[in-house]
Amino acid sequence: MEKNCLKSKIWTSVLALLVAMPIFVVALSWLFPERELWVHFSTVLLPSLISATVVLLIGVGLGVTLLGTILAYLVVMVEFPGRRWLEWALFLPFAIPAYVLAFVYLGVFDYSGYAQVWMREVLGLPGFDIRTGSWAVILTFVLVFYPYVYMMARASFKRQKINIIEAGQLLGASPLRVFFKISLPMARPAAAAGLLVTLMETLADFGVVSLFNFDTFTTAIYSAWGDFRSIEIAAQLASLLVLVAFLLIYFEKKARGQAKYYSNDVANKKPYRALGAAGWLISLFVFGVFMLSFAMPMLQLIIWGWTSVGEEWSVKYVDLIISTSVLTTSAALITVGIATILALPSRCKRSSPWIKGVISMATLGYALPGSIMTVGLLYGVNQVSAISVYFGGQSINHIIFGSIALLLFAYVSRFMAIGYSSIKASAEQIKPMFTQNAHLLGASRLRLILKIYLPMMTPGILAGGLLVAVDVMKELPATYLLRPFGWDTLAVQVYELSAEGLFERAAVPALIMVLLGAVLMLILQLLDKKSSKNF
Amino acid sequence: MLSVNNLSIAYQTTQVLNEFDLSLATGDIFALTGDSGSGKSSALRFIAGLDEVQSGQVILDGKQLSSSGIHKIAPELREIGMVFQDYALFPHMNVQKNIAFGIHHLSNSEQKVRVEELLLMIGLEGFEKKYPHQLSGGEQQRVALARALAPSPKLLLLDEPFSSLDKNLQKQLVLQVRDIVKKTNVTSILVTHDKHEATIFADKVGVIENSQLTIS
Amino acid sequence: MNIKTWVPSTLVVLALAITSVGIAQAKSEDSVTVYSSRKEHLIKPLFESFTKDTGIKVAYLTGKGGALIERLKLEGNNTKADMFMTVDAGNLWYAATQDLFQAVQTQTLKRNIPSHLRDPKGLWTGLSVRARTIVYSTERVNPTDLSTYENLADVKWSGRLCLRTSKKIYTKSLVASMIYHQGKNKVGDIISGWVDNLAATPNAKDSHIMNAIVAGQCDVGLVNTYYFGRLIAKNPNVPLKLFWANQDTTGVHVNVSGAGVTKYATNTKGAIKLLEWLSSVKAQAIYASLNKEYPANQNVASDEVVSSWGSFKQDKMNLAQTGVLQADAVKLMQIQGYR
Repeated sequence: MEKNCLKSKIWTSVLALLVAMPIFVVALSWLFPERELWVHFSTVLLPSLISATVVLLIGVGLGVTLLGTILAYLVVMVEFPGRRWLEWALFLPFAIPAYVLAFVYLGVFDYSGYAQVWMREVLGLPGFDIRTGSWAVILTFVLVFYPYVYMMARASFKRQKINIIEAGQLLGASPLRVFFKISLPMARPAAAAGLLVTLMETLADFGVVSLFNFDTFTTAIYSAWGDFRSIEIAAQLASLLVLVAFLLIYFEKKARGQAKYYSNDVANKKPYRALGAAGWLISLFVFGVFMLSFAMPMLQLIIWGWTSVGEEWSVKYVDLIISTSVLTTSAALITVGIATILALPSRCKRSSPWIKGVISMATLGYALPGSIMTVGLLYGVNQVSAISVYFGGQSINHIIFGSIALLLFAYVSRFMAIGYSSIKASAEQIKPMFTQNAHLLGASRLRLILKIYLPMMTPGILAGGLLVAVDVMKELPATYLLRPFGWDTLAVQVYELSAEGLFERAAVPALIMVLLGAVLMLILQLLDKKSSKNF
Repeated sequence: MLSVNNLSIAYQTTQVLNEFDLSLATGDIFALTGDSGSGKSSALRFIAGLDEVQSGQVILDGKQLSSSGIHKIAPELREIGMVFQDYALFPHMNVQKNIAFGIHHLSNSEQKVRVEELLLMIGLEGFEKKYPHQLSGGEQQRVALARALAPSPKLLLLDEPFSSLDKNLQKQLVLQVRDIVKKTNVTSILVTHDKHEATIFADKVGVIENSQLTIS
Repeated sequence: MNIKTWVPSTLVVLALAITSVGIAQAKSEDSVTVYSSRKEHLIKPLFESFTKDTGIKVAYLTGKGGALIERLKLEGNNTKADMFMTVDAGNLWYAATQDLFQAVQTQTLKRNIPSHLRDPKGLWTGLSVRARTIVYSTERVNPTDLSTYENLADVKWSGRLCLRTSKKIYTKSLVASMIYHQGKNKVGDIISGWVDNLAATPNAKDSHIMNAIVAGQCDVGLVNTYYFGRLIAKNPNVPLKLFWANQDTTGVHVNVSGAGVTKYATNTKGAIKLLEWLSSVKAQAIYASLNKEYPANQNVASDEVVSSWGSFKQDKMNLAQTGVLQADAVKLMQIQGYR
C-alpha cells in the first residue's frame, strides 16, 4: 500500500507540474525586478484598474450565479411551455466566442447601432454611450458565461431527490423558499465550480474588455508588454492574477467543505407546474435570455455573412476547418486523458494535501491571459534549451517552436481546469462503498479503474472533452502565436478580418465556428439524455 | 375531519384503484395496505397534493383540497405532514434546522422550545447539532417524524416509514411511533405493504385488493 | 469510449499531425519564410504574384507584432523566418533595437523608397505610407473651424470629439510625434483637453469612430485614411469628409508598414529579392491599393479613390522617433486618463 502510494504520488505530481509549467515560468519573472516602471504602474494605473476589476468580478459573479441557477432551476423543477427545447437551447451560447458576442452587442446596442437609432428616431429617447460605466460590459460577460453555471447547476438539480423538495413543500415552504433554502444550498458546490470557472475566464479576458475599452487588470498586463516592452512586468502582473485564482480555488474548496450529497435520482416529475399566465411569463423570460445570448447574435452574424459570403468563401476554408478540427480533437483527447488520470479516485490522493495542491496548480492556467501563458511556455522551452546547451547538448528551440506539440501543450495547460472540473464532478459521484466492495472482492487497481471508475466517469469524461473542444476552437492568443505554418484556424481568420474592420467577412468564419461548436453542444445534450436514462 | 371520495387511479391503461372512499375523525390512526402497484402510495401522494389522478375529491377540516383528481390547493398550503420512505431529511441542515424548517414563522426562542420538546418526545435529546449523515436509519426516521409533526399538521401521512429498517428495530419503532402519534392526537394514515405492521400500528386497517378498498 | 480506444486514437492523430507539419516545413533554397503582422488577405495576393514572377515560394505566418517579435527573439539563430513584416514604425524600430534585422542597402531599394521611409542603417524598409488625420461630419462641422490635432483640445469641441483608444499603436505614434515637436508638458495639456472634449469612451476601432459621427454621437474624430477609404467604398454617400491636419505647421502624421531581412535568415538572398520586389512599381501599386494606403515608392500613383482626397503635406519627422518616444507617449496618456 505505502509503496503504491509513493508511485502514484510521483506520477500524479509529474503530470500536474508539467501541465502547470507555464505558471512557474511566469512566476519566475519576479527574479527580474524593474523598479522604475513599477512606480508608474502602481501610482497611475493599478489603483483604478484594481477597483474596476473588483467591480467587474462582483458584477459578473452575481450575474452568472443568479441567471445560471435560476434558469437551471426553472428547466429542472418547473414545467412551463417550451421547457423541453429551451432546456438544451440554453447550452448553445457556449459556442459563441466572447469577443464575437461583444462585437455584435456593440454593433447593435451602441450609439450608432440599430437598437439605439430606433430608440432615438421612433421613441424619441436620448442616445447614450453603452461603454460608459461598467453595466454593459458586465451584462455581456454574464450572457456569455452563464452557461458554465447553468450546466453545472442543472446537473446538480437533476440529481436532487424529488422527495426532498416534496418534504419542503409539505412543511409549508413556498416555491421561493424551497429554491433558496433547499435546492440552491444543495446545488451550491456545483454552482460554485461554474462560478469559479467564470471568474477565472473574466480575469483572463482581453477581447471583450478591449472592445468595450473597459480597463481591467489585464489592461495593465498588456500595457506593460505592448507599451513598455517589458515582458517581465507583464509576467509579474499576470502571476498576481494567478494568485487571485489560487485564492478563489482555496475559498471554493473551503466553502464546499465536506458536503457531498450522493444521489443518483433523476427527477422525471417536475415538482412545480406553471400554468396559464405564470407559465408564459417564465417561458418569455427563459426565451428572452436565449434570444439575447444566442439567437440575436446569430441572426446578426447571418446578416453580415450573407452579404460577404461570395467574396470571402474559398477552398481555403476546407483547410481552416480541417486544421481547426484536428487541433480541437487532439487537444481535447490529451486534456481529458490527463484530467482523467488526475481525477481518478484513490486513497493516496484523498489523504495528501501535496497532491491536492499540485492538482490545483495544474488548473490555474485558465486564469492566465492566453498570450502571457504562451510566452511563458516559450521562455520555459528556451530555458530547457539553455540548460541543454550549457551541458554541451543542443538547443531544442527550433524543433519545439512552431511545432504542433507546443501548441497542444499550451491548450492542455490552459484548459485543464475545464476538463478536470467536469471529470472530477463525475468521480465524486462514485460512492466510496463501491471501491471498498470491489477491493473486498479482490479486484486489482487496474481492474478497478477499467471496470468501475472509467465506466462511471464516462459521462464526465465525455462532457469535459466536448467542453474543452469548444473552448479550444474559440481560443485565439495561443493559436495565433504558436501555430505551425499552414495551421490557421477559424478563430485566427475571424480575428484577422475583424482586426482590419472587415466585420461582414469575419462573420463567415465566425458562423462556421459557432455552428461546429453548436454541433458539439448538441452531442453533449444527447449524451446527457442517454446517461440520465441509464440511471 | 378527513374525507376522500371517489378516488380512482390508473397507471397508463390499467385501473389500479376504483372509487376509493375514506373518512376519518380527528385522532384516527388508519393504515392502508396492499400489494406493490396497488396504488396505495399514489393515493397517499394524491391526498398530500403531490400527484394528480384520474378522479377523486379530498376534504380536510371542511376545506376542499382537491376535486375531480385535480389539486385546488398547493401542497405547501395544506397543513399536511408527511414522513417519506427514505425520510428525505435535508442533508445540508442539522437536526435542529431540519425540525424547525416548517415553523420558521415562529420566533427563534419559540422554535428552540418546540424543537427541544419534539426531540424529547422522540428520545433524541441533544441531537440538535448533528447532521443527517451522522445518524442511524432509526434516528433519521424519528427526526423525519419530528419534522413532520413540528408545525402541528391537521393530518400526518407516513409512506412506508419502517420498510428500510432491520426487523428488530422495526417492531420497536412501530410501537414508539404509534405512541407519539397517539400522544399528539394527530389524524394519521400509514401506508405499508406489511399487514402485520398495519394491525399493530392502526385502529382501522384498509386493504386494497382487486382495485377495491375493504376496511376492517 | 474507454481507455482502450482513446489512447490509440490520440496517438494516431498526433502522428498524423506531426508528420504533416514536417512536410509543411520542409524547406528549400527557392523558398522564403515571412513572419508578418500584416494580415493574410493583404499579403497573400502579393506573395502569389512574386512566386509567379520569380519562381520563389513564400511561406508566411501571421501574428500580432509584439508576439512575433518575442518569438523571433526566442528563436534566435534557429529561426525559420527570413523576413519580418509589420505595421507601424514603432514596431520596426523596436525589432531593430532587439537586433532582429540585418542591414540591407541595395541600389534598387535606395532608388525605389525615399530615405525618410527607410532605416538609416538599412535594417528595415517602409513599404506603404498611412496617414492619420481628422474626419468630420459634413452636416454639423464647418471645415474652416478645423486646423490641427492640437486644436481639437479647444473647448469649442467639448462633447463633440471621438478618439480611438490610447492602447492602439496608431494613437501612441501620433502622440509620440507630437511630443517630438512640442515637448511633454504642452502635449500633456493637449491630451487633457482631448479627454475633456470626448463625447464617448474612446473607441476600440477607427470604424466605430466614423459610425459614431454618422449617428450623431460626435462631430469630429481622428482616423487612418484607409478606414475612411473602405467606408466610402461601401457607402459612397456617407456624410463624412477628411481634413488634412496641421498643413500650416508640422504636416499630417504619417506612419509606415514595412519589413526587414532577419539577422539569422537562412535564405538572405531570397529575402532581399522579395524586399526589392515589394518596393518595385508593380508590387507597390498592389501593396498600397489593397488597403487604400499611400505607396512608399514615389513613382507609383495612388489608387484612384485615394488620390481623390487630395494631396497633403506630410510630417517629415524621422519615423524612428515614434519608437523612441512611445513609452513617454503612453505614460502621458495614462496620467491624463486617456483610456
